[in-house]
Amino acid sequence: MTPKHPSCRAIESDLVATATGEAGAAAARRVDEHARECAPCRAELGRYRAIDSIARGLRHDAPPPADVAASRSALQARLADLKSRVLTYGIVPSPLGNILVARSEHGVSLVEYLGEATTLAGSRLRELADVETVESSTEIARLRDELLDFLAGRRRELGWRLDLRLAGSDFRRAVLQAAVDVPYGAVTSYASIARRVGKPGAERAVAQALRWNPLPIVVPCHRIVGSSGKLTGYAGDKLGLKRRLLDVEGVRTTPAARDFRVAREVMYVRAGDDRAYCLPTCGDLPSHSLANLTLIASRAGVEALGLEPCSDCRPDLHPIV
Amino acid sequence: MGLGLFDDVVAAHHPEIYRYLRRLTYRASEADDLAQETFLRAYRAWQGLAPDANVRAWLFAIATNLARNHFRAESRRRRAYVVAGERRAEADPAGPEEEHVFRETRALLDRVVAGLPLKQRLAFTLRKVHDLDYEAIGESLECSPESARAHVFQALKKIRVSLNGHELPAMEPTR
Repeated sequence: MTPKHPSCRAIESDLVATATGEAGAAAARRVDEHARECAPCRAELGRYRAIDSIARGLRHDAPPPADVAASRSALQARLADLKSRVLTYGIVPSPLGNILVARSEHGVSLVEYLGEATTLAGSRLRELADVETVESSTEIARLRDELLDFLAGRRRELGWRLDLRLAGSDFRRAVLQAAVDVPYGAVTSYASIARRVGKPGAERAVAQALRWNPLPIVVPCHRIVGSSGKLTGYAGDKLGLKRRLLDVEGVRTTPAARDFRVAREVMYVRAGDDRAYCLPTCGDLPSHSLANLTLIASRAGVEALGLEPCSDCRPDLHPIV
Repeated sequence: MGLGLFDDVVAAHHPEIYRYLRRLTYRASEADDLAQETFLRAYRAWQGLAPDANVRAWLFAIATNLARNHFRAESRRRRAYVVAGERRAEADPAGPEEEHVFRETRALLDRVVAGLPLKQRLAFTLRKVHDLDYEAIGESLECSPESARAHVFQALKKIRVSLNGHELPAMEPTR
């Protein structure tokens, strides 16, 4: 190219902008005025316009529709796989310490006490194979609010859709399912859960399944105690939390040797699947273990289950105060 | 933000993102891999995206980022350039003379674009083929809108020089 006149160099950028339709009105006018007088720049403007137009023509270059469709369907398959493996989680500061809540597309799948920890380090979520984790406090916001309401006694039911895939086995899943059915403000025993899942005598296996409950609080394993009425254990070594959760639900406990005991003397009693409920002093009930009993802390709890008062002890006439 | 909505994002934007990546890589398998990776990444970040975000620009930014990593392996860039050359050889229209010039110029331009420095090539493609504004291009390339514009102009100037001596079709002003 021949060396350009300074006035041509001065408008070079504006010339490109004008050719591509991106120049401001003033710049475009300057370029047009210059190009009227300057044949090389006029030609240059034409060439840039041609290039811009050809370049824009590239947008009509579409790949073969079959390739696009194949790519799309491969993507859908991988997305479906990813969706089933992604757990969205948030960490909720609560009166029971930090609590991790994680959900999949199927429902809430993990609740874990983190204590003081504020990250996933050391959490079960970190150890899960074949799972991807995404933190999203906004996604967890509703769960967080409901959980805090529950822990404060402002809400009796969480009613969350649950994803029990982390339970580990069909037996454990059945145990968790049976635990979900233990109502608010009530306690029952490992032995009674074992019976409900069709494995009478398997209370140790039940206790083990609940020890690894991936959804404490939501699957209320805190409502399940030893046949003696002792709390016996909770989420490893968190017996204090079990006691606090029971306390929120109105279930009183009293200290026992290196443990606590449910104060059954102030709770209504349901034997097995009876449609009736009794005072704790009814007949020989005080001598029964909890293997086949459910204890209920309040009249409201009894009524929520639709139970009739026992015609012998008449708990309706002599309510526990 | 519900998870279900992401399927709508795929439906709305996959064809264009695929087209973009196909243009950059010239290869179905590479475009396919990069498009899948783009949307899988997007899915993971989807829930944290601001409700008023420009989803299309955001997807282009993810795709561009992946493409840049992809092209860090220099051999891939050379290969893309070679394929662009092959495509040029294939362009052999039997149409009228003007159309012939237009097509041939386009194939040549394609080849020149394939040989541009990567940032210029990406900026040029995002602007001219996908009509993104400079702000979005800047986000894709992690630079200011002004730099994005400068990349596009540099690209145009290089194309102009490369086409020196080549017959170009006559054009009316675009405005």
